[in-house]
Amino acid sequence: MKTGWQKILLYAAIMGMEGCWLYAFMALLNKQVAGGRLSVPGILLLYPLAFVCNRLLQQLRWPKAGNWSVSWLAWALAMLLVVKVQMFGDLPLTDTAWLLSLHRSIAGVIYNFKPELLLLLSTGVVWWMGRRLAYLKVDFGAMLSEFQFGVSILIVAFFAVSQLSVELTNAVSVALVFFLFALSGISIAHAMEGTSWLSGLYQGHWSGLLLVSISLVLLLGLLIGSVITPDFLQLVIAAVKWVLHLILKVIAFLVSLLPRPEPGEPPPPMPAMPAPEPAEQFRLWRMPESVRSALRIGWTVMVIGILLFSLWRLSSDIFRWLRHRLAGMAGAEFEPLPGAFKADLLSLLKRMLSRLRGLRLPFRLGLKADALLPDIASVRQMYRQFLRWAAAGGYPRHMSQTPNEYFHRLAALLPEAEGDLDVITRQYGKVRYGASLPTEGELHRMSRSWHRVRQIRLKKKEASLNE
Amino acid sequence: MNRAVNEANRGIADRLIGNVGKVIVGKKETIELVLVSLLCEGHVLIEDVPGIGKTMLAKAVARSLGCSFKRIQSTPDLLPSDVTGIHYFNQKTSEFEFRPGPIMANIVLVDEINRATPRTQSCLLECMQEQQVTVDIQTVPLPRPFMVIATQNPVELEGTFPLPEAQLDRFLLRVGIGYPTEDEEGAILSRFQHESPLDNLASVIEPEELLEFEKLCRQVYVEDSVRNYALAITRATRSHQDIQLGASPRASLGLHLASQALAAVRGRDYVIPDDIKYLAVPALAHRLICRTEARLRGRSSEAIVREIVSTVPVPVEEQPKSS
Repeated sequence: MKTGWQKILLYAAIMGMEGCWLYAFMALLNKQVAGGRLSVPGILLLYPLAFVCNRLLQQLRWPKAGNWSVSWLAWALAMLLVVKVQMFGDLPLTDTAWLLSLHRSIAGVIYNFKPELLLLLSTGVVWWMGRRLAYLKVDFGAMLSEFQFGVSILIVAFFAVSQLSVELTNAVSVALVFFLFALSGISIAHAMEGTSWLSGLYQGHWSGLLLVSISLVLLLGLLIGSVITPDFLQLVIAAVKWVLHLILKVIAFLVSLLPRPEPGEPPPPMPAMPAPEPAEQFRLWRMPESVRSALRIGWTVMVIGILLFSLWRLSSDIFRWLRHRLAGMAGAEFEPLPGAFKADLLSLLKRMLSRLRGLRLPFRLGLKADALLPDIASVRQMYRQFLRWAAAGGYPRHMSQTPNEYFHRLAALLPEAEGDLDVITRQYGKVRYGASLPTEGELHRMSRSWHRVRQIRLKKKEASLNE
Repeated sequence: MNRAVNEANRGIADRLIGNVGKVIVGKKETIELVLVSLLCEGHVLIEDVPGIGKTMLAKAVARSLGCSFKRIQSTPDLLPSDVTGIHYFNQKTSEFEFRPGPIMANIVLVDEINRATPRTQSCLLECMQEQQVTVDIQTVPLPRPFMVIATQNPVELEGTFPLPEAQLDRFLLRVGIGYPTEDEEGAILSRFQHESPLDNLASVIEPEELLEFEKLCRQVYVEDSVRNYALAITRATRSHQDIQLGASPRASLGLHLASQALAAVRGRDYVIPDDIKYLAVPALAHRLICRTEARLRGRSSEAIVREIVSTVPVPVEEQPKSS
């Protein structure tokens, strides 16, 4: 597939993913605020329009301020058009009544959240997202970020739908379409990077494999959707309740087997307490009920604010960690690493606990050093894979061999790969023993070298040398 | 340090090695080790047979640096005052004046150091460690950079006084020059046919530039695991069955500093395990005392250090399990 088409498909995939969760949220708000009067697809049409408009503006290379002004002017026009079509379709275009109505709705926002205001905000958000997409550099990392963000938002939207008892009939379809776009986009982006198996032996079949995997996901989604019905869930809950009831009965039976204590002599009655003298009623100032209510509200707001702030900090930390991990994986091959997940999880828990409790010191004894930076971890992981590859070929590194000595040994066996082996060894040495971070170009070069080296079958080479 | 600084360091080192190489043919490693020692303000013990260019090497290094050079020929009747200097009575001024000895130079060649008596050898201890000399009640600082290049003949033992351990420990490195190859010897003959290239050897580095380079060497990064690797090697010498006296903490420090200097000379701003391995024998072997049984079995301290280096694990990624 040509690169131009691949880019278009990637943009379409991101647009599809974002469109899905936007649709879910807008449908929810439409039901809640506008009683389902608005046409969500009509609003979403602004998304591709904003993308195209901003791409064109980008081509013109105007000054930033001019570009920005024209873009948001276009949004204002588009928004007015949508308001006119969706809310005041009966009125002629020349009649200014609908404009006055829009103005009144915006002005009265503190009294009531009107559908017109929903239209204003939703078109603004959609336009901003289209504009953002127009300037976004699409690659594998961007696709993954969009995917993880989209999944989170979709889950939140579906949770809100279930909590507010809003009927969203096409929720399953939205989820499936989201995953369809996400899988397609990620696969294409991965293939575009040229470092995956899609660019290797199976390059010719990747589209087939992609279609098969997408079909599989859709099939599984439909299957799960058809099996896990409310009745089925009720049945499962009833079964769990029955099992819990049974366990409680067994515990009660076991407790009944224990000997009961013999009833002893009842204690003598306590003497009556002397009646307290009535305290002198003295109050300096009685707080009015309105002040008490205001303080109560303030206190509640503060507690909720603290809770929300804590939640935000926690989730932003988790997201930052995920982004760091994913950014470090750009250009790296994925191989199963036994124990890696456990080590990562322990490291994350250690940091969270040490932040929460200030118990960093005791954890130093049991756990390894702090997690490495993504770029360094990526290089070291590549070198581990390289060591495994060479060991599997019958040439493990001796424990007292330095990377350079090991390189000379392997280079004697594979003179045609000497350059690549040198790049891998040099880059690893720089990252492992040096204090500087690898640049993007160095990482890429090392990744390419490792990709070429791993295609060589070391055992076969040894056999041919022996011959 | 950035890349430009690394390149500049390497440029300085290449200039010096190239310049000395005009006189000393084909001994780049030895010249590099002398430069490493110089950058650590350490001293070098050249242990080799006569006539292979030990004095020439010291002179060439001194000339290339634009430094002062003095030579002390050690003999059994050499006195400490012959080395350090003396207070003498000046009849014209009717005052005692200090006449500095040959130790007051940037590069001092102590030739055949083991021919001097232990008393004279010991007068070098203060100079080598503290870079100062005390005569009577006066302490005089030595010029910087200061380096002692001592030579000794390992074959001849008659009329010699083996260096005490405290003296040996003060040498950062012990190197051997070794005989040249046939081609190298041919090149020496043709190069020295008309006149000695030492006569026309120009200075390529100023002492100030060298002192600046020294400071940069201290900034070379040593990763924790590499530092631990160096420590593991020195500590292993203390528990080896064939060694009576292992390497001292001064040896660990010397190995650490020398590895930083070697990394800088080779244009890196970080130390790699190869640097430690390369320097282990020159930096440690001369400080060890082997057990008598080991010596009788023909085991040398160099061989023991090599054996230790081949058993201490290098800090690399975890070895994958064999599949």
